[in-house]
Amino acid sequence: MIRNQRFWVAVAAFVFLSAVAASIILYFSRSESTVRIIQDGKVVTAFELEGHPDEELVFEYEGRKNIVEIKDGRLRMRSADCPDKLCERSGWCGKGSLPLICLPNRLVIEFTASDTDAVAR
Amino acid sequence: MDTKRLTRMALLTSFALIIFVIELQIPPFLPLPGFKLGLANIVTVYAVYVLRPADCALIVIARILLGTIIAGNPMALAMSLSGGLFCLIGMLLLSKVIDRRHIWVCSILGAALHNLGQTAAASAVMQTSAVFSYLPFLIVAGCAAGLFTGIMAQAAVNRLTRK
Repeated sequence: MIRNQRFWVAVAAFVFLSAVAASIILYFSRSESTVRIIQDGKVVTAFELEGHPDEELVFEYEGRKNIVEIKDGRLRMRSADCPDKLCERSGWCGKGSLPLICLPNRLVIEFTASDTDAVAR
Repeated sequence: MDTKRLTRMALLTSFALIIFVIELQIPPFLPLPGFKLGLANIVTVYAVYVLRPADCALIVIARILLGTIIAGNPMALAMSLSGGLFCLIGMLLLSKVIDRRHIWVCSILGAALHNLGQTAAASAVMQTSAVFSYLPFLIVAGCAAGLFTGIMAQAAVNRLTRK
């Protein structure tokens, strides 16, 4: 079986299709609204996004700044001192969004079910 | 190491770096952290089917180290190395069982392994498992990119080597 080329074509097709299925499920099934901001492995802050007052949060890592803007129950990375600006391009994120990740500044903004995990950490 | 072997490895490394530098000019068209077409891996896939395993490892490591210096993004080194080595080891093993008419299959699986390796490294660097929620998206994009690089590499292997 392992030398059968059709087997490997099937394995590749399976990997691709399961990734497609997982992407669709991940994209549409999330509704978490607690935001947890982690920098360098430590939870910096956690809060409920809905009903949160409009605010700008500034995070610094080795002299580089990330500015997170919170407005109308959504947030975005308004600016980031990093080469690729990928997190800025993600735009506004509401509840259930995928995490915002700024790799150079080790900043992760994730949406979780509740802030009890954050307290446990 | 004889001169011919050394020259061939140096040539392949520089091919890969040229492709890498050209690819740097393409703006990221998906807002997906860690996503790249990885066109330089055309050379890696070719090498896996043509060179010895140790030589493949040397050109991949040289490409990643030099590429990181050229791109000026040292933070990405852990992700690139981990992804590159996962992909390389996986493809070296798969090349024993996947024949030269199915190099594209080997390349797709290599790309998925690259995504797995880079995500694992990202999660270690960031100390959070949140990055894994991007893995399915990366694998979907990676399979498409891997299919393309695989077809290119398969054409190169079949035209440049005689059995």
